[in-house]
Amino acid sequence: MMSISHAKGSGTSGLAWRIFRRDWRSGEVKILFFALMIAVTAMVAIGVITDRIHRAMGEQSSEFLGADYTFSSPRPIEQSWVEQGRSNGIEITETLGFSTVLSKGDKFQLVNVRAISGKFPLKGELEIADKPFTSGMKIQGSPELGSVWVEPRVLSLLGAKVGDKVDFGISQLTIAGVIVSGPGQASEVFNVAPRVTLNKQDVEAANIIQPGSRVSYGLFIAGELEAREQYIAWLKERKNTTQRITGGKEGTPALQASIERAETFLRLASLVSVVLAGVAIAVAAGRFSRRHYDYAAIYRCLGMQIAQVHRLYFTQLSIIGLIGSALGVALGLAIQQIIIMQFADYLPKPMVPIDWVPVLVGALSGLVVLIGFALPAFFQIARVSPLRVLRKELVPQPLSSWLIYIFAIVAMALLMWWQSGDFKLVGILLGVALLAYGLIRLIAWLIFKLGVWLGKRASTPIRYGLGQLKRYPAFTISQITAFGLAFIIMLSTVLIRSELLDEWQNQLPEGAPNHFLVNVQPQEVELLENILAEQSVQTAGIYPMVRGRVVGVNDQTLQEALDERALTDGAVRRELNLTWMTDVPKANQVTQGEWWVGDALSQDETKTNQLSIDEKLAERLGLKIGDKLLFSIGGIEVAGEISNFRSIQWDSFQPNFFIIFQPGALDAQSATYITSFHLQQAQKPTLNTILQQMPTVTIIELDAIMAQVQTILEQVTRAIEFIMLFVLLAGIAVLYAVLQSNRDERVLSATLLKTLGAQTKFIRTSLVAELALLGLFSGILGAIGGEVLVSALYKNALKIEPVLHPWVWIIVPLIGVVFISLVGWWGLRGLLKQPAHQVLRQM
Amino acid sequence: MMLTTKNLTKTVNSQEHDLTILSQVSLTINEQDTVAIVGASGSGKSTLLSLLAGLDVPTSGQVMLAGKPLHELNEDQRALVRAQYVGFVFQSFHLLPGLSALENVMLPIELKEQKNPEQQARQLLEQVGLLERLHHYPNQLSGGEQQRVAIARAFASEPKILFADEPTGNLDTANGEKIIDLIFELNQQLGTTLVLVTHDDRLASRCQRVVRLEAGELVDDTAQEKAVQEPHLESAAGHS
Ligand SMILES: Nc1ncnc2c1ncn2[C@@H]1O[C@H](COP(=O)(O)OP(=O)(O)O)[C@@H](O)[C@H]1O
Ligand SMILES: [Mg+2]
Repeated sequence: MMSISHAKGSGTSGLAWRIFRRDWRSGEVKILFFALMIAVTAMVAIGVITDRIHRAMGEQSSEFLGADYTFSSPRPIEQSWVEQGRSNGIEITETLGFSTVLSKGDKFQLVNVRAISGKFPLKGELEIADKPFTSGMKIQGSPELGSVWVEPRVLSLLGAKVGDKVDFGISQLTIAGVIVSGPGQASEVFNVAPRVTLNKQDVEAANIIQPGSRVSYGLFIAGELEAREQYIAWLKERKNTTQRITGGKEGTPALQASIERAETFLRLASLVSVVLAGVAIAVAAGRFSRRHYDYAAIYRCLGMQIAQVHRLYFTQLSIIGLIGSALGVALGLAIQQIIIMQFADYLPKPMVPIDWVPVLVGALSGLVVLIGFALPAFFQIARVSPLRVLRKELVPQPLSSWLIYIFAIVAMALLMWWQSGDFKLVGILLGVALLAYGLIRLIAWLIFKLGVWLGKRASTPIRYGLGQLKRYPAFTISQITAFGLAFIIMLSTVLIRSELLDEWQNQLPEGAPNHFLVNVQPQEVELLENILAEQSVQTAGIYPMVRGRVVGVNDQTLQEALDERALTDGAVRRELNLTWMTDVPKANQVTQGEWWVGDALSQDETKTNQLSIDEKLAERLGLKIGDKLLFSIGGIEVAGEISNFRSIQWDSFQPNFFIIFQPGALDAQSATYITSFHLQQAQKPTLNTILQQMPTVTIIELDAIMAQVQTILEQVTRAIEFIMLFVLLAGIAVLYAVLQSNRDERVLSATLLKTLGAQTKFIRTSLVAELALLGLFSGILGAIGGEVLVSALYKNALKIEPVLHPWVWIIVPLIGVVFISLVGWWGLRGLLKQPAHQVLRQM
Repeated sequence: MMLTTKNLTKTVNSQEHDLTILSQVSLTINEQDTVAIVGASGSGKSTLLSLLAGLDVPTSGQVMLAGKPLHELNEDQRALVRAQYVGFVFQSFHLLPGLSALENVMLPIELKEQKNPEQQARQLLEQVGLLERLHHYPNQLSGGEQQRVAIARAFASEPKILFADEPTGNLDTANGEKIIDLIFELNQQLGTTLVLVTHDDRLASRCQRVVRLEAGELVDDTAQEKAVQEPHLESAAGHS
């Protein structure tokens, strides 16, 4: 028998501590304590993991960009800005970009020059090979003076090989290597002129930049998080509207949507753990306070002041809060470390360190959940009348239920906002919570109806089980609410996860195009088709492409027709890739207006050509269906009338076009063709064949970058799977907590039945019937609520088209029945074997 | 005068009409009196006790306990009076399951901020014959033992007045006898005023005065010539 030190136990806090120790051992506080611990563990683990993965992914996408940020400007950048950064420990590489002509002998080729001084790229690596379409060396640095790195097609266009000299302005450069992969490739797919990289000092020597040349001045920027964010903020204050800052994530348009969805999901998962924790704590606190009314009445009877009783219980709540949070933090950190180590292979090394902010947020969140969900119940305890020692039925005046809800909702909203920083998401979830409340009411009503209806024909134990549910409707409803919520949350997590994974799989299926061919001449199309067919390479279609500029809207010039903002839009300032098609292309959807039928040529001469435009572009330019656009294509003007808007999935790795004409509207002779296809490593020599036979074709290799995209998606998938598992465990813990907290009531009624002479078999059947019915009802609630929640989230947060999941309607109630009756029965089984008086004494 | 009431009435709202469960009870209890409140079940005994002890307030009428007008005091003020002057023994013991026997007995002493709570509590537990059970928790004690702890706790704060509501109601005869003996023994020793509710005639017969309630009204208030000073029954040693 443990002995307790009484010496200093005179204050209420000493008493509180003593009572806590005893209560803990008798298991009464355990559920409350574990609920809190689960909450904090989940919040810390998920918080830290998402934060670390988020930052790790940021690092990785910086590799696509080549830096944490890039800065670009049409005029020279103030040298003092660069100094400002460098003096704060920021790495900065200065670049120049312009178009010029490289020549060798009688061959000339327009190229995009990137001239660098210093380390490049700052994040990630350049892969340089000495032959086209082979793998090369990974380096960080700039080309040596007098040398140039070129894209593979430059070699075939100029008839050169690595080591040859080419003319560059008034000087000569040696081709030192072929760029296999490097930053920025993904966003350069449609650059017609190939990219060459050379040393900045050679630019001056070549005397190639004349007044009036179009040059873009750039900075590649990298550094420690805090310092670089400060510097970027500093730059943002000073930059003018022609200067642009691009951040890590924006460097990879193809990945952006996926990463954002993954982040949204992870944020949701941590919100979910908050909701679950809240439910568990509210349930456990309710039970705790019910069990303590008696004791509080005795304290009051013995002369304790109300404030003293409050202090006693608040002290206990604080002890639970502090110890529970501390253990939760420790466990959460351990778990996240295990997870991170589990897939260290997929994460960049060294892994980003733990940031203590999410840890602190997790611990504090635990306390907020505890206070928000437990305080109202704890507050009740001291309000019990001392008369309860004589009249057991006296319970405290219930607090205004609004007060309790407001307390919980405020705590919840605070936490959600804290965890997600996303007001919209918090709004949706709280909205759905209120909606769920309405549904719960409805189902409670259904329970009565069903109970009465079934009660007429069911066997006695089932009737008894139903009777139990009918006898305490409030109790029944609160249980269904809690179980249902856990089911809703678990179901939504599972559904959203599989939907996300499917989406990604669709987006980057096996054999997704990883090479683009641009600049195919009309007379070469047949030849290309033959070569590809010979190697059994399948294309996503060969599309014509015409470069044209928008010059007028509705018979007005751009200046007259568009407002100031629209006039600065890139789409009206440069040439666009135009095409024509018979059918709506894959990965596109008509959102407004009608797609055309047939060719323009086959129709009435007087009718204008139809065209289809990207809905986002139309919105930016303020265009409507029926507006007429005038294009200048190679000096010839072509008009078209907008007949429909399209939404375009830009990250689909298919050729995408802002503007598509009706077939026949554009002159087929001035077009070049574009296609994309999937090549495996072994098929890469095909590219050589293509270049030999049609040297002007531009080949864009995306296989390296797509492999990287695949890797990132794999990482995210794993993180999501694991975190989902975690949410499921938390949900199960909540189910268990609720079952545990209602165990007393069940044991009592079963024991009473027993003293009345019921057979154990009867008691068992009726208990299981009661539990199974609870499971059924909450499973139905879970299915309805889950579908509603998921649809709302798809629409609003994840931007996926909502769908229904019929299988859920059967599976979830089934799981509810099986799980709740099994676990519930398992918790009671032992007690029913004991004699009734022994059970009653333990209560 | 320890306790006086004047026209004590308690009315409760039940199903849309008012129900008077105690009507115009006036009585006076002197210091060191031993008073039994008897009556049929439902006659209002517990209600009266709860008003006398300040656990509840009357609908009308007055209660003065140790010179304090309970009917005018709020919850906390009445709690203070209870802490200062009142001890309780209940039918269902009402020990705190989270505390050991010793801690249960120490609690009122601590609340009154008296010295040496542990020593006093030990002494009392020794007196009720539970010295070996100091560190046992209520669920490890039999009903009789629990009630003895409750008695030790009731006397621990050295109350001026002890209220007991059917203290033997949940016990078998032998244990009941033992409890009665202990109550009277400690009562005499400490000079406590005793008010107990019972329908146990033997218990009532040991009080100086018997007050009878019928349907919430005081119908009889008899001073017994001489309270039966029964010799102690043979010690129920087997139970401790
Ligand atoms: N709050 C209440 N509401 C309704 N009826 C009550 C309330 N308190 C007591 N009663 C009723 O008053 C009567 C007296 O109760 P009580 O004092 O407990 O009687 P006794 O202790 O003599 O058995 C009983 O019929 C009881 O049901
Ligand atoms: Mg009574």
